[in-house]
Amino acid sequence: MLHLVVCLKQILDPEIPPADFKLDPSAQRAAPTASLVASIFDENALEIALQLREKVGDARITAISLGPPSAVDVLRKALSMRADDAILIREEDFPGIDAHGCARVLAAAIRKLPPADLILCGRETGDWHGGLVAAFLAAEFDRPYTNFVAGITKEGDHFHLRRQTEDGWEIVRSAAPAVITVTNDDHNLPRIPKVKDNMMAFRKQIPAWTASDLGLVPASVAGPNSKLEQSRLYVPVVDRKCEIITGDNAEAKARQLVERLAALQVI
Amino acid sequence: MRNVLAILIPAGAFSRTEAETITAGKSLAAQLGADLSVGILGPSDDSFARECFAFGAKSLTRVEGLAAYQSEAYSAAAQQIAASVAADVILFPSTTYGLEIAPGVGYRLGAAVILDCVGLIGDSSGNLTITKPVYGGKANSELIARQGPVVIAMRMRSVAPGEKQDGATGEINTIPAPALSPRTQILEHTTEDTGSGPKLEDARVIISGGRGLGNKENFVHLEELARLLGGSVGASRAACDQGWVPATLQIGQTGKKVAPDLYLAVGISGASQHLVGIAGARHIVAINKDAKAPIFQVAALGVVDEWQALLPKLVVALTEHKARNS
Repeated sequence: MLHLVVCLKQILDPEIPPADFKLDPSAQRAAPTASLVASIFDENALEIALQLREKVGDARITAISLGPPSAVDVLRKALSMRADDAILIREEDFPGIDAHGCARVLAAAIRKLPPADLILCGRETGDWHGGLVAAFLAAEFDRPYTNFVAGITKEGDHFHLRRQTEDGWEIVRSAAPAVITVTNDDHNLPRIPKVKDNMMAFRKQIPAWTASDLGLVPASVAGPNSKLEQSRLYVPVVDRKCEIITGDNAEAKARQLVERLAALQVI
Repeated sequence: MRNVLAILIPAGAFSRTEAETITAGKSLAAQLGADLSVGILGPSDDSFARECFAFGAKSLTRVEGLAAYQSEAYSAAAQQIAASVAADVILFPSTTYGLEIAPGVGYRLGAAVILDCVGLIGDSSGNLTITKPVYGGKANSELIARQGPVVIAMRMRSVAPGEKQDGATGEINTIPAPALSPRTQILEHTTEDTGSGPKLEDARVIISGGRGLGNKENFVHLEELARLLGGSVGASRAACDQGWVPATLQIGQTGKKVAPDLYLAVGISGASQHLVGIAGARHIVAINKDAKAPIFQVAALGVVDEWQALLPKLVVALTEHKARNS
C-alpha cells in the first residue's frame, strides 16, 4: 500500500482586495483582516494525491498541518475531500519557527507515521512565499526532490511526475520515496467535498501533537533562516494615475486609445 | 569579507536570465568590496564564457562532463563550485531548475535561503539587505543577513542587465562532474505551443486575458491583436486554471514575470498575485467593464467597456494606424 503525506498550511485568504490588506501593528506580519483558508497550492497537492490514490487503488493519504488550533479547519476540509487521516502539530510549541524548523518538525511527525512513499507540499505558501520547506524536508530525509509537479502516475516502483517548466512540461521519473511540490494546473483544481463527506469529516478525531509528542526541544529546531532579521515590512506605494479613455462609443474609445498608444511610442 | 558566486544553469545560448543573475552578483560584489565568481552548470561554449566576462564575472568555473540537467548532479556540482571558491553568498536564477536546487544546496551548506527576491544590497561590513515580496505582492519584507552563508534567488526580470564590456576576460577553472547515481531522470521535455509571438519573458508587447474573457475561444481575439502588434499572448492564473490557455502563458506570482513596453490587460481584474508578474512593465493598459477593478490602479491608460465591443474596433483602428505609418 502506498502512503502519501500531504502538508497543508492555514493562511490569511490571499485573494482579499489590496484595500482590505493591513499590517499588524507589530509591523512584522499581516493583520488578521481576512478569513483563514488553506494555502494556495496545498489543496492542489491534496488533489493530485487523491487522483493518484484513485489510479493505484491501494493508497492511504495523511494530511498534516503545523499550525495554530484554527488550522484544524484546513485538516477537516482535507478529510472531507477524502484524506484518510489528519494530524495537527501545535505551532505554538515552536515560537518564531523558520523554514528549517518547519521541515524538522514535519519530518519528526512524518517519522512517527507508517513510512511515507511520497510527501507532497504546495510550491510555496500564499503568505510568505518561502518555497523552501519541501526541499528542506527532502534534504532531511535524503530523498529525491522535484518541484512544480501538476500530475503523478505510479510506474512500477517509480513515480512519473509531470512537471511544469518555463516553456512546457517534463516527465520526471523519480525513485520512491520522494518529495515533491505541486503547482496549479487545469487538471488538479481541488474537488468540492460532498455533503456526506463533510459530515463524516466533522465526526473524525484530529490529534494535536505537541513538541514532546515529537521528542523535540523547540529551541533546537531553528536553522539559519531564523538568524535573518526582518528590518521592515511595508506596503509598497503605487502612485500611478490611470488616464481613463472616454468616448461616446467603443469606436471612439478605440481610436483615442490608438492615438495615446502611438504618443507613448509603443505601437 | 564576502565571496560572491553566481550560479548559471544555461538552457542553450547566453540569455537575459544569465545576464540578470551576473548583473545582480556584480553589483552586490562591488558593494561588498568583493569580486564575482560565476559557476556554470551544464554544457557551455567559449562564447558563453565571453558573455559572462563581458557582464562582469571575474572568474568562471565550468564542470567537465556535466550533461543535461539532473537535480542531484547539478546540486552536487553547485556545492563543489561553492567550496572551490569559498563562496558565502550564492545567487541562483529563479527558474524552475534554479528554484529546485537552490534550497537543497543552501541546506547542505548551512546557509540561510531566500528565494524570489527583488532587491539585494550589500555593505562594506558584509551585511546584506534583501527585499522579498510577500502576501501575494501586497507587502515587501526587508530582511537583513549579517553573517554566515546565504543563498539567494533573484526574481526573474527584477534586475535590468548591466552594461556589457566586450573583450573583458578572466580566469577559467574546470572541475570534474561529481560521481553519483541520480534518483531522478527527465524522460521527456515537451515544449508547449504558445503561439507565434516571441517568448513572454522577452516580448515587447503582451496582450493578456483573464477570467473576463469567458472561454477558451475568445483568446483568438487576443491572438489577432498580438499578431497586429508583433506581441505575444499571456493570461492570468484564473484563465489558466480554467484550461483556456496552457499554464506556460500564466503571468503572476507563480507564473512568468514579464517586462514588456506595453502590457494590455483584457478582462483581468488585477489580483495582487497577477500584478506581481507585471511589475516590470513600462506601460500597462487595462480594458475592463468594471471601473473599480484593481488593475486600473496600476494602469497608465484604461478603457472602461466590454472587451467584446472594444476589441473589434481596436483591431480596425490599429490596422488603419499601421497603414498610415507604413
